[in-house]
Amino acid sequence: MIVIETISIYKPKSLSDALEFLDKHAPDVKPIAGGTELLLLIRDKKIKPPKYLLDLNPLKKTLSYVKVEGGVVKIGALTSIYDLSQTILHSDKRYAGFVDVWEKFGTMALRFEATIGGNLNAATQYSDYITLLLAFDANVKLESVKGVRELKLSEYIVDKRKTALNPNELLVEVSFKEPPAESSSSFIKFDRREILIAGIVTEATYLHLEDDVIKDVRIAFDMVSGKRIPARAVKTEEFLRGKRFSSEVVEEAAEKILPSEMTRVTDWWATAEYRLEMSKVSLKRGLKLAYERIRGE
Amino acid sequence: MVKVSLTVNGVKYDLDVPPTERLLDTLRNRLGISSVKEGCGRGECGSCIVLVNGNPVHSCLTLTSRLDGAEVTTLEGLAPQGKLHAIQVAFIEARGVQCGFCTPGFIMITKALLDRVKEPSEKEIRRWLSSVLCRCGSYPLYFEAVKRAAKYIKEGKIYFDEKEVREKYHLKVLAR
Ligand SMILES: Cc1cc2nc3c(=O)[nH]c(=O)nc-3n(C[C@H](O)[C@H](O)[C@H](O)COP(=O)(O)OP(=O)(O)OC[C@H]3O[C@@H](n4cnc5c(N)ncnc54)[C@H](O)[C@@H]3O)c2cc1C
Ligand code: FES
Ligand code: FES
Repeated sequence: MIVIETISIYKPKSLSDALEFLDKHAPDVKPIAGGTELLLLIRDKKIKPPKYLLDLNPLKKTLSYVKVEGGVVKIGALTSIYDLSQTILHSDKRYAGFVDVWEKFGTMALRFEATIGGNLNAATQYSDYITLLLAFDANVKLESVKGVRELKLSEYIVDKRKTALNPNELLVEVSFKEPPAESSSSFIKFDRREILIAGIVTEATYLHLEDDVIKDVRIAFDMVSGKRIPARAVKTEEFLRGKRFSSEVVEEAAEKILPSEMTRVTDWWATAEYRLEMSKVSLKRGLKLAYERIRGE
Repeated sequence: MVKVSLTVNGVKYDLDVPPTERLLDTLRNRLGISSVKEGCGRGECGSCIVLVNGNPVHSCLTLTSRLDGAEVTTLEGLAPQGKLHAIQVAFIEARGVQCGFCTPGFIMITKALLDRVKEPSEKEIRRWLSSVLCRCGSYPLYFEAVKRAAKYIKEGKIYFDEKEVREKYHLKVLAR
C-alpha cells in the first residue's frame, strides 16, 4: 500500500477553475493527466511530492480532440494515445508516423491512460511524441489566467524533465501546419524487443517531395547533441533539402553528415558507438519508409 | 481524505480515501476483491488491469480519489452469480493457466478487446495481450483462448452455468 498523506487532490469544475487554482497555488501544484509518468516519479522519489495534484480528468471533454482547422492540425492536450488512433492521424498516409509511434507505444492498456500532453511534459528522450512532433515542426499552446501563448515545441523542451512551462500554466494544445499531399512521415524505434521498450535509438522523419526532389525534410532523434532530449538533426536536413532523392544521397547523409552533428552517450544499456551506428541505420530506414509511403509502395 | 462514490461490479460504494490511494489497494484491501494482483506496481506487468468505464486501466497507476462516479469491473463482475463469462470458460478450456497469477489481467484485457473488436486478427490479439506479462509463458494457449471466446460470443453464448463447467473440468471451489 502506497499512500502519501501529504498530497491533496483538486478536481476543477472547468478549465478556468483549473487555471485559477494553478495560479493561486503554483508552484506547489502538479497537474495530473494519465499519471503514468508522474505517479512513478513520485513513487521513485525522482521529484519532490507536490502539495496538490490538479486532476485534469474533468477537462477531458474540453481538451480531448483532433481537428484540422484553417490548414492547421490541432491536438488537445488530454487526448489519450488510444483516442489518437481513432482519428485522421491514423487513416491519412501523411501522418503515418503517428501509427508507427502507436505501434510501439507502451502496451495496449497504457494507451488508454497516457495522454499526448503528458507525453510532451514528461520531457525526456523517451517521449516518443516529442520526437515525432519535432519532425512536424509543431507548436504548443499554453494557457494561464493571464491568457494564451504559443511556443515552438523545440523551444518548449528545454532539457531533460525541464520545459518552458510556467508553474501557473497548462499545456492545452499541440498543433502543426497541415502537410502537403506529396508528403509523409515515419518513426523508427529500435530496441531488443518489439514492445514495452524505451528505444535505444528513436528517429522521426517528415518528407515532402516534388517530383523526386526533396522539397522539405525534417529529421528528429531521441537525442542529437549531448542533451538528453529529442532534437532535430538540422545539418542533415540542410544537406538533404533540394537534392534528388536517391540511395546515394541518403547514404551520404547518414554516413558523412549525421555523424558530424551527433553526440551520443554510453550508459548501461548501449554504447555511444552503437547508438551512432543505429542512428545512421534508422535515418536510412526512416527516409526510405517515408519515401515509399509518398509513392504508395 | 476524499469522498468518492463508485460502482464496483454493479455494487455502489461510498468511500472515504486518502487522495493518493491506488485503486489496486482500494479493491484488494477495502473491498476484498482478490483477483486484482500487484506484480510490478508500475504499469509494466498488467496483472492489475481492471475496466474503468469500460476502458482497461492499470489499477496500480489509478488513484481512487479521481474516480468519483466511475464504474469499475473486475474479473469477479464479469458474470452474474452462478454463471461464468464466455471468456472465463474459454480460458479454462484452453488450459492456459499455469500458476494463474496473470490470468485475471489477461481475461480483463480480453474483455476490453472483444467489447471493441468482434473478430480480432492474430496481430490484434497479440497487440492487446501484450499488455500482460506471463512469467510461465502461457501466451500461445491464451491466444487460442481469445479466439475461442470470440467464437462463443459470436454464437451468442455469453454466460455458462458455473456448476456445469466446474463438474465438466473437475474444478474445485477453494476455501476462502
Ligand atoms: C510501462 C510504461 C511504458 C511506457 N512506454 C512509453 C512509450 O513507449 N513511449 C513513450 O513516449 N512513453 C512511454 N511511457 C511514458 C509515459 O506513459 C508517457 O510519457 C505518457 O504519455 C505520459 O502521459 P500521462 O498523461 O500519463 O502523463 P502524467 O504522468 O499525467 O504527466 C506527466 C507530466 O506532465 C505534466 N502534465 C501532464 N499534462 C499536462 C498539461 N496538460 N499541462 C501541463 N503539464 C502537464 C504532469 O504534471 C507531469 O509532470 C511509458 C510509461 C510506462 C509506465
Ligand atoms: S501491478 Fe500494475 S502493471 Fe504491474
Ligand atoms: S500463468 Fe503464471 S504468470 Fe502466467
